[in-house]
Amino acid sequence: MVSEKRSRRSVKDDAEHGHTYPYKILVVDDEPDLQPLILQRMRRPIRSGKYTFVFAQNGIEALQRLNAEPDIDMVVSDINMPQMDGLTLLEQIPSVNPNIRSVIISAYGDMQNIRTAMNRGAFDFVTKPLDFKDLRHTIARTLRNLVEWREALASRDQLVVLQNELDVASKIQQSILPTEFPQHERYGIHASMEPARNVGGDFYDILMLERDHVGLAIADVSDKGVPASLFMMSSRTLLKGTAIGLPQPGMVLSDVNDLLTEENETAMFVTVFYAVYSPMTGELTYANGGHNPPLLIHADGSSEFVPRVGGIALGIVQGVPFSQGSITLQPGDTLLLYTDGVTEAMNAENEEFGVERLQAIFLEDPPASAQHTNEAVFAAVHSFAGGTPQSDDITCLTISRIPS
Amino acid sequence: MEIKTERTDGVLVINAEGRIDGSNSAQFLESIQAVVSDDDNGVVLDFGGINYISSAGLRVILLLAKELRQKQTGFGVCSLSSSVKEIFTISGFDQIIAIFDSGADAVSSLK
Repeated sequence: MVSEKRSRRSVKDDAEHGHTYPYKILVVDDEPDLQPLILQRMRRPIRSGKYTFVFAQNGIEALQRLNAEPDIDMVVSDINMPQMDGLTLLEQIPSVNPNIRSVIISAYGDMQNIRTAMNRGAFDFVTKPLDFKDLRHTIARTLRNLVEWREALASRDQLVVLQNELDVASKIQQSILPTEFPQHERYGIHASMEPARNVGGDFYDILMLERDHVGLAIADVSDKGVPASLFMMSSRTLLKGTAIGLPQPGMVLSDVNDLLTEENETAMFVTVFYAVYSPMTGELTYANGGHNPPLLIHADGSSEFVPRVGGIALGIVQGVPFSQGSITLQPGDTLLLYTDGVTEAMNAENEEFGVERLQAIFLEDPPASAQHTNEAVFAAVHSFAGGTPQSDDITCLTISRIPS
Repeated sequence: MEIKTERTDGVLVINAEGRIDGSNSAQFLESIQAVVSDDDNGVVLDFGGINYISSAGLRVILLLAKELRQKQTGFGVCSLSSSVKEIFTISGFDQIIAIFDSGADAVSSLK
Protein backbone atom coordinates (compact mmCIF):
# COMPACT_ATOMS: atom_id res chain seq x y z
CA MET A 1 0.00 0.00 0.00
CA VAL A 2 2.79 2.36 0.88
CA SER A 3 4.34 2.03 -2.52
CA GLU A 4 1.02 2.55 -4.29
CA LYS A 5 0.32 5.69 -2.37
CA ARG A 6 3.70 6.98 -3.17
CA SER A 7 3.56 6.09 -6.80
CA ARG A 8 0.42 8.17 -7.18
CA ARG A 9 2.01 11.15 -5.50
CA SER A 10 4.96 10.90 -7.77
CA VAL A 11 2.75 10.93 -10.86
CA LYS A 12 1.07 14.03 -9.63
CA ASP A 13 4.33 15.73 -8.88
CA ASP A 14 5.85 14.72 -12.15
CA ALA A 15 2.89 15.60 -14.26
CA GLU A 16 1.92 18.85 -12.65
CA HIS A 17 4.90 20.37 -10.94
CA GLY A 18 8.00 18.78 -12.40
CA HIS A 19 10.26 17.09 -9.84
CA THR A 20 9.28 18.38 -6.46
CA TYR A 21 11.56 15.83 -4.79
CA PRO A 22 14.57 13.87 -5.99
CA TYR A 23 14.28 10.41 -7.50
CA LYS A 24 15.89 7.93 -5.14
CA ILE A 25 18.31 5.52 -6.76
CA LEU A 26 19.79 2.50 -4.98
CA VAL A 27 23.24 1.47 -6.22
CA VAL A 28 24.27 -2.10 -5.34
CA ASP A 29 27.95 -3.03 -5.73
CA ASP A 30 30.55 -4.69 -3.55
CA GLU A 31 33.33 -2.44 -4.76
CA PRO A 32 33.85 0.24 -2.10
CA ASP A 33 35.25 2.65 -4.70
CA LEU A 34 32.01 2.99 -6.58
CA GLN A 35 30.18 5.02 -3.94
CA PRO A 36 32.48 8.09 -3.91
CA LEU A 37 32.85 7.85 -7.67
CA ILE A 38 29.12 8.03 -8.28
CA LEU A 39 28.64 10.84 -5.77
CA GLN A 40 31.39 12.73 -7.51
CA ARG A 41 30.36 12.09 -11.13
CA MET A 42 26.66 12.61 -10.44
CA ARG A 43 27.14 15.67 -8.25
CA ARG A 44 25.25 17.97 -10.60
CA PRO A 45 21.90 16.16 -10.61
CA ILE A 46 22.39 15.49 -6.90
CA ARG A 47 22.99 19.15 -6.11
CA SER A 48 20.06 20.31 -8.24
CA GLY A 49 17.80 17.98 -6.30
CA LYS A 50 17.06 15.70 -9.24
CA TYR A 51 18.53 12.50 -7.86
CA THR A 52 19.55 11.16 -4.52
CA PHE A 53 21.68 8.01 -4.20
CA VAL A 54 21.73 5.31 -1.54
CA PHE A 55 24.09 2.34 -1.52
CA ALA A 56 24.23 -1.38 -0.67
CA GLN A 57 27.11 -3.86 -0.79
CA ASN A 58 25.17 -6.92 -1.95
CA GLY A 59 21.72 -8.30 -2.77
CA ILE A 60 20.67 -8.98 0.81
CA GLU A 61 21.56 -5.51 1.97
CA ALA A 62 19.78 -4.11 -1.09
CA LEU A 63 16.55 -5.95 -0.23
CA GLN A 64 16.74 -4.67 3.35
CA ARG A 65 17.02 -1.11 2.08
CA LEU A 66 14.16 -1.60 -0.39
CA ASN A 67 12.01 -2.87 2.44
CA ALA A 68 12.91 -0.02 4.75
CA GLU A 69 12.69 2.69 2.09
CA PRO A 70 9.64 2.23 -0.13
CA ASP A 71 10.36 5.56 -1.83
CA ILE A 72 13.27 4.07 -3.81
CA ASP A 73 12.43 4.51 -7.49
CA MET A 74 15.24 2.66 -9.22
CA VAL A 75 18.00 0.10 -8.66
CA VAL A 76 21.38 0.01 -10.38
CA SER A 77 23.08 -3.28 -9.54
CA ASP A 78 26.29 -5.15 -10.23
CA ILE A 79 25.96 -8.85 -11.06
CA ASN A 80 28.80 -10.53 -9.16
CA MET A 81 28.55 -9.89 -5.45
CA PRO A 82 28.99 -11.96 -2.29
CA GLN A 83 25.99 -13.31 -0.31
CA MET A 84 23.38 -12.48 -2.95
CA ASP A 85 24.29 -11.68 -6.55
CA GLY A 86 22.57 -9.19 -8.83
CA LEU A 87 20.59 -11.78 -10.81
CA THR A 88 19.06 -13.22 -7.63
CA LEU A 89 18.29 -9.70 -6.43
CA LEU A 90 16.42 -9.02 -9.69
CA GLU A 91 14.16 -11.99 -8.98
CA GLN A 92 13.37 -10.73 -5.49
CA ILE A 93 12.71 -7.06 -6.23
CA PRO A 94 9.11 -7.39 -7.56
CA SER A 95 7.94 -9.00 -4.32
CA VAL A 96 9.26 -6.03 -2.34
CA ASN A 97 8.21 -3.28 -4.75
CA PRO A 98 6.71 -4.20 -8.13
CA ASN A 99 6.98 -0.69 -9.55
CA ILE A 100 10.73 -0.37 -9.36
CA ARG A 101 12.93 -0.19 -12.46
CA SER A 102 16.31 -1.96 -12.43
CA VAL A 103 19.43 -1.43 -14.48
CA ILE A 104 22.19 -4.05 -14.36
CA ILE A 105 25.93 -3.42 -14.54
CA SER A 106 27.70 -6.24 -16.38
CA ALA A 107 31.09 -7.02 -17.78
CA TYR A 108 31.49 -5.90 -21.37
CA GLY A 109 30.31 -8.61 -23.77
CA ASP A 110 28.84 -10.85 -21.06
CA MET A 111 25.78 -11.56 -23.18
CA GLN A 112 24.64 -14.55 -21.19
CA ASN A 113 24.29 -12.63 -17.92
CA ILE A 114 22.77 -9.67 -19.72
CA ARG A 115 20.17 -11.96 -21.33
CA THR A 116 19.38 -13.52 -17.96
CA ALA A 117 19.05 -10.11 -16.34
CA MET A 118 16.68 -8.85 -19.04
CA ASN A 119 14.61 -12.01 -18.75
CA ARG A 120 14.34 -11.43 -15.04
CA GLY A 121 12.89 -7.99 -15.57
CA ALA A 122 15.87 -5.65 -15.79
CA PHE A 123 14.90 -2.55 -17.74
CA ASP A 124 18.34 -1.91 -19.22
CA PHE A 125 22.06 -2.56 -18.66
CA VAL A 126 25.34 -0.66 -18.62
CA THR A 127 28.78 -2.20 -19.02
CA LYS A 128 32.01 -2.02 -17.09
CA PRO A 129 34.16 -0.04 -17.00
CA LEU A 130 31.40 2.47 -16.25
CA ASP A 131 30.88 5.20 -18.79
CA PHE A 132 29.21 7.87 -16.67
CA LYS A 133 27.76 9.70 -19.62
CA ASP A 134 26.04 6.49 -20.65
CA LEU A 135 24.95 5.84 -17.06
CA ARG A 136 23.38 9.29 -16.77
CA HIS A 137 21.56 8.74 -20.03
CA THR A 138 20.40 5.28 -18.99
CA ILE A 139 19.14 6.52 -15.62
CA ALA A 140 17.20 9.38 -17.25
CA ARG A 141 15.62 7.03 -19.79
CA THR A 142 14.70 4.49 -17.11
CA LEU A 143 13.08 7.11 -14.90
CA ARG A 144 11.14 8.48 -17.85
CA ASN A 145 9.76 5.01 -18.45
CA LEU A 146 8.93 4.70 -14.76
CA VAL A 147 6.94 7.94 -14.80
CA GLU A 148 4.99 6.79 -17.85
CA TRP A 149 4.30 3.48 -16.21
CA ARG A 150 3.01 5.18 -13.07
CA GLU A 151 0.77 7.41 -15.14
CA ALA A 152 -0.62 4.34 -16.87
CA LEU A 153 -1.26 2.75 -13.47
CA ALA A 154 -3.08 5.85 -12.28
CA SER A 155 -5.33 5.88 -15.37
CA ARG A 156 -6.08 2.23 -14.83
CA ASP A 157 -7.08 2.98 -11.24
CA GLN A 158 -9.39 5.71 -12.46
CA LEU A 159 -10.98 3.28 -14.89
CA VAL A 160 -11.60 0.83 -12.08
CA VAL A 161 -13.26 3.57 -10.03
CA LEU A 162 -15.41 4.48 -13.01
CA GLN A 163 -16.38 0.88 -13.59
CA ASN A 164 -17.33 0.49 -9.93
CA GLU A 165 -19.46 3.59 -10.21
CA LEU A 166 -21.26 2.12 -13.19
CA ASP A 167 -21.79 -1.13 -11.33
CA VAL A 168 -23.43 0.81 -8.50
CA ALA A 169 -25.64 2.59 -11.01
CA SER A 170 -26.62 -0.71 -12.54
CA LYS A 171 -27.56 -2.15 -9.14
CA ILE A 172 -29.65 0.91 -8.27
CA GLN A 173 -31.44 0.55 -11.57
CA GLN A 174 -32.13 -3.16 -11.20
CA SER A 175 -33.18 -2.96 -7.56
CA ILE A 176 -36.11 -0.63 -8.16
CA LEU A 177 -37.78 -2.68 -10.87
CA PRO A 178 -40.69 -4.90 -9.85
CA THR A 179 -40.14 -8.52 -10.82
CA GLU A 180 -43.41 -9.91 -9.54
CA PHE A 181 -46.52 -9.11 -11.48
CA PRO A 182 -50.17 -8.91 -10.43
CA GLN A 183 -52.24 -12.02 -11.04
CA HIS A 184 -55.72 -11.18 -12.28
CA GLU A 185 -58.48 -13.09 -14.07
CA ARG A 186 -59.08 -10.22 -16.50
CA TYR A 187 -55.56 -9.25 -17.47
CA GLY A 188 -51.97 -10.42 -17.54
CA ILE A 189 -48.92 -8.21 -17.01
CA HIS A 190 -45.26 -8.92 -17.66
CA ALA A 191 -42.20 -6.70 -17.79
CA SER A 192 -38.52 -7.19 -18.41
CA MET A 193 -35.41 -5.10 -18.82
CA GLU A 194 -32.06 -6.04 -20.30
CA PRO A 195 -29.51 -3.46 -19.20
CA ALA A 196 -26.82 -2.38 -21.63
CA ARG A 197 -23.28 -2.92 -20.41
CA ASN A 198 -22.81 0.61 -19.18
CA VAL A 199 -26.28 1.26 -17.77
CA GLY A 200 -28.75 3.53 -19.35
CA GLY A 201 -31.67 4.61 -17.28
CA ASP A 202 -34.75 2.67 -18.32
CA PHE A 203 -37.36 1.84 -15.74
CA TYR A 204 -40.92 0.60 -15.55
CA ASP A 205 -43.50 0.44 -12.81
CA ILE A 206 -46.80 -1.26 -12.13
CA LEU A 207 -49.04 0.44 -9.58
CA MET A 208 -52.15 -0.98 -7.98
CA LEU A 209 -54.56 1.96 -7.76
CA GLU A 210 -58.02 2.48 -6.32
CA ARG A 211 -61.06 0.69 -7.77
CA ASP A 212 -58.92 -2.15 -9.13
CA HIS A 213 -57.29 0.18 -11.64
CA VAL A 214 -53.68 -0.45 -12.66
CA GLY A 215 -51.08 2.23 -13.34
CA LEU A 216 -48.47 1.33 -15.97
CA ALA A 217 -45.33 3.38 -16.49
CA ILE A 218 -42.34 2.97 -18.76
CA ALA A 219 -39.51 5.48 -18.85
CA ASP A 220 -36.08 6.21 -20.24
CA VAL A 221 -33.66 8.65 -18.58
CA SER A 222 -31.24 10.47 -20.85
CA ASP A 223 -27.59 9.76 -20.21
CA LYS A 224 -25.89 7.08 -18.15
CA GLY A 225 -24.01 6.47 -14.94
CA VAL A 226 -24.64 7.31 -11.31
CA PRO A 227 -26.17 10.80 -11.81
CA ALA A 228 -28.64 9.34 -14.32
CA SER A 229 -29.48 6.52 -11.90
CA LEU A 230 -30.21 9.00 -9.13
CA PHE A 231 -32.36 11.03 -11.51
CA MET A 232 -34.18 7.81 -12.40
CA MET A 233 -34.71 7.03 -8.71
CA SER A 234 -36.30 10.40 -8.05
CA SER A 235 -38.38 10.19 -11.26
CA ARG A 236 -39.71 6.84 -10.24
CA THR A 237 -40.44 7.89 -6.65
CA LEU A 238 -42.18 11.09 -7.75
CA LEU A 239 -44.21 9.20 -10.33
CA LYS A 240 -45.30 6.59 -7.86
CA GLY A 241 -46.17 9.14 -5.17
CA THR A 242 -48.12 11.32 -7.57
CA ALA A 243 -49.90 8.49 -9.38
CA ILE A 244 -51.34 7.04 -6.20
CA GLY A 245 -53.12 10.31 -5.40
CA LEU A 246 -54.22 11.31 -8.91
CA PRO A 247 -56.42 9.32 -11.31
CA GLN A 248 -55.59 11.40 -14.41
CA PRO A 249 -52.37 10.42 -16.23
CA GLY A 250 -52.04 13.91 -17.74
CA MET A 251 -52.09 15.52 -14.31
CA VAL A 252 -49.64 12.94 -12.97
CA LEU A 253 -47.08 13.71 -15.68
CA SER A 254 -47.65 17.42 -15.29
CA ASP A 255 -46.96 17.27 -11.54
CA VAL A 256 -43.93 15.01 -11.90
CA ASN A 257 -42.57 17.25 -14.64
CA ASP A 258 -42.85 20.36 -12.49
CA LEU A 259 -41.12 18.65 -9.56
CA LEU A 260 -38.32 17.28 -11.75
CA THR A 261 -37.75 20.56 -13.55
CA GLU A 262 -37.19 22.48 -10.32
CA GLU A 263 -33.47 22.92 -9.84
CA ASN A 264 -32.58 20.56 -12.65
CA GLU A 265 -29.20 22.05 -13.54
CA THR A 266 -27.95 18.88 -15.18
CA ALA A 267 -30.28 19.11 -18.19
CA MET A 268 -31.14 15.47 -17.67
CA PHE A 269 -34.60 14.48 -18.71
CA VAL A 270 -36.80 11.42 -18.75
CA THR A 271 -39.31 10.24 -21.31
CA VAL A 272 -42.34 8.62 -19.68
CA PHE A 273 -45.44 6.92 -20.98
CA TYR A 274 -47.98 6.58 -18.17
CA ALA A 275 -51.38 4.90 -18.44
CA VAL A 276 -54.21 3.88 -16.15
CA TYR A 277 -55.99 0.68 -17.11
CA SER A 278 -59.49 -0.25 -16.05
CA PRO A 279 -59.87 -4.06 -16.03
CA MET A 280 -63.67 -3.90 -16.03
CA THR A 281 -63.97 -2.03 -19.31
CA GLY A 282 -60.58 -2.52 -20.91
CA GLU A 283 -60.25 1.25 -21.16
CA LEU A 284 -56.75 2.65 -21.01
CA THR A 285 -56.24 6.37 -20.39
CA TYR A 286 -52.75 7.65 -21.05
CA ALA A 287 -50.44 10.61 -21.31
CA ASN A 288 -47.07 10.73 -22.97
CA GLY A 289 -43.99 12.68 -21.90
CA GLY A 290 -41.90 12.33 -25.04
CA HIS A 291 -41.81 8.51 -25.07
CA ASN A 292 -42.19 6.09 -27.97
CA PRO A 293 -45.89 5.40 -28.54
CA PRO A 294 -46.80 1.86 -27.39
CA LEU A 295 -48.03 -0.78 -29.79
CA LEU A 296 -51.58 -2.13 -29.57
CA ILE A 297 -51.56 -5.71 -30.87
CA HIS A 298 -54.74 -7.56 -31.72
CA ALA A 299 -55.40 -11.25 -31.27
CA ASP A 300 -54.70 -11.90 -34.99
CA GLY A 301 -51.28 -10.27 -34.78
CA SER A 302 -52.20 -7.07 -36.58
CA SER A 303 -51.16 -3.95 -34.69
CA GLU A 304 -51.17 -0.19 -34.59
CA PHE A 305 -49.40 2.43 -32.55
CA VAL A 306 -51.32 4.23 -29.84
CA PRO A 307 -52.40 7.65 -31.16
CA ARG A 308 -50.02 10.45 -30.29
CA VAL A 309 -51.11 13.07 -27.82
CA GLY A 310 -48.05 15.34 -27.84
CA GLY A 311 -46.14 15.96 -24.65
CA ILE A 312 -42.52 16.87 -23.95
CA ALA A 313 -40.01 14.73 -22.10
CA LEU A 314 -40.10 15.43 -18.34
CA GLY A 315 -37.60 17.65 -16.55
CA ILE A 316 -37.16 20.25 -19.29
CA VAL A 317 -39.90 22.90 -19.23
CA GLN A 318 -41.99 23.72 -16.20
CA GLY A 319 -45.73 24.26 -16.38
CA VAL A 320 -46.44 22.51 -19.67
CA PRO A 321 -49.71 20.56 -19.98
CA PHE A 322 -49.88 16.89 -20.93
CA SER A 323 -52.86 15.91 -23.06
CA GLN A 324 -54.56 12.60 -22.46
CA GLY A 325 -55.69 9.97 -24.90
CA SER A 326 -57.79 6.88 -24.44
CA ILE A 327 -58.07 3.51 -26.14
CA THR A 328 -59.96 0.35 -25.29
CA LEU A 329 -58.32 -3.04 -25.21
CA GLN A 330 -60.72 -5.60 -26.65
CA PRO A 331 -60.60 -9.10 -25.17
CA GLY A 332 -57.48 -10.71 -26.64
CA ASP A 333 -55.75 -7.36 -27.27
CA THR A 334 -52.24 -6.77 -25.97
CA LEU A 335 -50.52 -3.45 -25.32
CA LEU A 336 -46.74 -3.39 -25.60
CA LEU A 337 -44.91 -0.51 -23.90
CA TYR A 338 -41.23 -0.40 -24.84
CA THR A 339 -38.17 1.83 -24.82
CA ASP A 340 -36.08 2.92 -27.79
CA GLY A 341 -33.54 0.21 -26.95
CA VAL A 342 -35.92 -2.07 -28.88
CA THR A 343 -36.49 -0.04 -32.03
CA GLU A 344 -32.98 1.44 -32.11
CA ALA A 345 -31.12 -1.85 -31.63
CA MET A 346 -28.49 -2.07 -34.37
CA ASN A 347 -27.16 -4.96 -36.41
CA ALA A 348 -23.73 -5.43 -37.95
CA GLU A 349 -24.84 -3.55 -41.10
CA ASN A 350 -25.69 -0.50 -38.94
CA GLU A 351 -29.39 -0.90 -39.57
CA GLU A 352 -31.95 -0.16 -36.90
CA PHE A 353 -34.45 -2.76 -35.76
CA GLY A 354 -37.19 -0.19 -36.34
CA VAL A 355 -40.96 -0.18 -35.90
CA GLU A 356 -41.75 -2.24 -39.00
CA ARG A 357 -39.78 -5.22 -37.72
CA LEU A 358 -41.46 -4.80 -34.35
CA GLN A 359 -44.91 -5.03 -35.92
CA ALA A 360 -43.83 -7.92 -38.15
CA ILE A 361 -43.03 -10.10 -35.12
CA PHE A 362 -46.70 -10.47 -34.23
CA LEU A 363 -47.95 -11.16 -37.76
CA GLU A 364 -45.84 -14.34 -37.56
CA ASP A 365 -46.44 -15.02 -33.91
CA PRO A 366 -49.59 -13.39 -32.43
CA PRO A 367 -49.41 -12.65 -28.68
CA ALA A 368 -50.38 -15.64 -26.55
CA SER A 369 -49.76 -13.86 -23.24
CA ALA A 370 -48.01 -10.78 -21.88
CA GLN A 371 -44.91 -12.81 -21.09
CA HIS A 372 -44.93 -14.50 -24.49
CA THR A 373 -45.15 -11.10 -26.17
CA ASN A 374 -42.08 -9.78 -24.32
CA GLU A 375 -40.11 -12.94 -25.00
CA ALA A 376 -40.92 -12.70 -28.70
CA VAL A 377 -39.64 -9.09 -28.78
CA PHE A 378 -36.38 -9.93 -27.01
CA ALA A 379 -35.83 -12.97 -29.24
CA ALA A 380 -36.42 -10.94 -32.40
CA VAL A 381 -34.12 -8.12 -31.28
CA HIS A 382 -31.35 -10.57 -30.32
CA SER A 383 -31.56 -12.44 -33.58
CA PHE A 384 -31.54 -9.14 -35.52
CA ALA A 385 -28.57 -7.68 -33.62
CA GLY A 386 -26.51 -10.88 -33.89
CA GLY A 387 -23.22 -10.17 -32.15
CA THR A 388 -23.54 -6.38 -32.28
CA PRO A 389 -23.13 -5.06 -28.72
CA GLN A 390 -26.22 -3.62 -27.11
CA SER A 391 -25.81 0.14 -26.72
CA ASP A 392 -28.96 0.92 -24.77
CA ASP A 393 -31.22 -0.74 -22.22
CA ILE A 394 -34.00 -2.80 -23.75
CA THR A 395 -37.25 -2.72 -21.79
CA CYS A 396 -40.74 -4.09 -22.42
CA LEU A 397 -43.86 -3.77 -20.26
CA THR A 398 -46.89 -5.60 -21.60
CA ILE A 399 -50.51 -5.91 -20.53
CA SER A 400 -52.98 -8.23 -22.20
CA ARG A 401 -56.72 -8.34 -21.76
CA ILE A 402 -57.69 -11.93 -21.14
CA PRO A 403 -60.81 -13.04 -23.08
CA SER A 404 -63.54 -14.01 -20.61
CA MET B 1 -16.65 13.29 -33.75
CA GLU B 2 -15.59 15.95 -36.23
CA ILE B 3 -17.54 19.10 -36.82
CA LYS B 4 -17.25 21.69 -39.56
CA THR B 5 -18.19 25.26 -38.97
CA GLU B 6 -19.02 28.29 -41.08
CA ARG B 7 -20.15 31.79 -40.14
CA THR B 8 -22.73 33.54 -42.28
CA ASP B 9 -24.15 36.95 -41.30
CA GLY B 10 -23.03 36.45 -37.69
CA VAL B 11 -24.65 33.03 -37.46
CA LEU B 12 -22.44 30.05 -36.66
CA VAL B 13 -23.54 26.99 -38.65
CA ILE B 14 -22.16 23.70 -37.31
CA ASN B 15 -22.13 20.61 -39.49
CA ALA B 16 -21.76 17.14 -38.05
CA GLU B 17 -21.99 13.68 -39.53
CA GLY B 18 -22.93 10.22 -38.38
CA ARG B 19 -24.53 9.34 -35.06
CA ILE B 20 -24.75 11.32 -31.84
CA ASP B 21 -25.10 8.93 -28.93
CA GLY B 22 -23.72 8.26 -25.45
CA SER B 23 -20.33 7.34 -26.87
CA ASN B 24 -19.61 10.73 -28.43
CA SER B 25 -22.15 13.17 -27.00
CA ALA B 26 -19.78 14.67 -24.40
CA GLN B 27 -17.13 15.20 -27.06
CA PHE B 28 -19.73 16.67 -29.41
CA LEU B 29 -20.74 19.21 -26.75
CA GLU B 30 -17.14 20.13 -26.01
CA SER B 31 -16.23 20.68 -29.63
CA ILE B 32 -19.26 22.91 -30.10
CA GLN B 33 -18.55 24.90 -26.94
CA ALA B 34 -15.02 25.42 -28.22
CA VAL B 35 -16.17 27.11 -31.43
CA VAL B 36 -19.09 29.19 -30.18
CA SER B 37 -18.06 32.81 -29.70
CA ASP B 38 -19.74 35.52 -27.66
CA ASP B 39 -20.02 37.55 -30.85
CA ASP B 40 -22.26 35.00 -32.56
CA ASN B 41 -25.82 36.22 -33.05
CA GLY B 42 -27.04 32.70 -33.50
CA VAL B 43 -25.92 29.10 -33.54
CA VAL B 44 -27.38 26.44 -35.83
CA LEU B 45 -26.71 22.72 -35.78
CA ASP B 46 -26.99 21.46 -39.33
CA PHE B 47 -28.05 17.82 -38.98
CA GLY B 48 -28.11 17.08 -42.71
CA GLY B 49 -25.42 14.46 -42.14
CA ILE B 50 -26.80 13.03 -38.89
CA ASN B 51 -28.79 9.83 -39.20
CA TYR B 52 -29.33 9.07 -35.51
CA ILE B 53 -29.44 10.92 -32.23
CA SER B 54 -29.94 9.20 -28.89
CA SER B 55 -31.34 10.69 -25.69
CA ALA B 56 -27.77 11.50 -24.60
CA GLY B 57 -27.46 13.51 -27.81
CA LEU B 58 -30.76 15.28 -27.15
CA ARG B 59 -29.40 16.22 -23.75
CA VAL B 60 -26.45 17.93 -25.42
CA ILE B 61 -28.89 19.97 -27.50
CA LEU B 62 -30.77 20.88 -24.34
CA LEU B 63 -27.57 21.96 -22.58
CA LEU B 64 -26.59 24.09 -25.58
CA ALA B 65 -30.05 25.64 -25.76
CA LYS B 66 -29.85 26.58 -22.08
CA GLU B 67 -26.34 28.02 -22.36
CA LEU B 68 -27.16 30.05 -25.45
CA ARG B 69 -30.42 31.33 -23.98
CA GLN B 70 -28.45 32.74 -21.05
CA LYS B 71 -26.20 34.56 -23.50
CA GLN B 72 -29.31 35.61 -25.44
CA THR B 73 -27.90 33.92 -28.52
CA GLY B 74 -30.40 32.43 -30.97
CA PHE B 75 -30.31 28.66 -31.41
CA GLY B 76 -31.83 26.10 -33.72
CA VAL B 77 -31.31 22.93 -35.71
CA CYS B 78 -31.81 22.45 -39.42
CA SER B 79 -31.96 19.90 -42.26
CA LEU B 80 -33.20 17.04 -40.09
CA SER B 81 -33.46 13.64 -41.75
CA SER B 82 -36.85 11.99 -41.39
CA SER B 83 -35.62 9.61 -38.69
CA VAL B 84 -34.03 12.39 -36.63
CA LYS B 85 -37.17 14.50 -37.11
CA GLU B 86 -39.20 11.58 -35.75
CA ILE B 87 -37.00 11.48 -32.63
CA PHE B 88 -37.53 15.23 -32.14
CA THR B 89 -41.29 14.79 -32.56
CA ILE B 90 -41.66 11.82 -30.20
CA SER B 91 -39.57 13.39 -27.44
CA GLY B 92 -41.36 16.71 -27.75
CA PHE B 93 -38.10 18.48 -28.59
CA ASP B 94 -39.80 19.95 -31.66
CA GLN B 95 -41.80 22.06 -29.20
CA ILE B 96 -38.78 23.51 -27.42
CA ILE B 97 -36.06 23.74 -30.08
CA ALA B 98 -36.42 25.81 -33.24
CA ILE B 99 -36.29 23.57 -36.31
CA PHE B 100 -35.46 25.01 -39.73
CA ASP B 101 -35.73 23.36 -43.15
CA SER B 102 -32.29 24.51 -44.29
CA GLY B 103 -29.19 26.32 -43.13
CA ALA B 104 -30.19 29.35 -45.21
CA ASP B 105 -33.59 29.50 -43.49
CA ALA B 106 -31.91 29.29 -40.10
CA VAL B 107 -29.39 32.01 -40.92
CA SER B 108 -32.02 34.43 -42.20
CA SER B 109 -34.10 33.85 -39.10
CA LEU B 110 -31.31 34.07 -36.51
CA LYS B 111 -28.99 36.72 -37.99
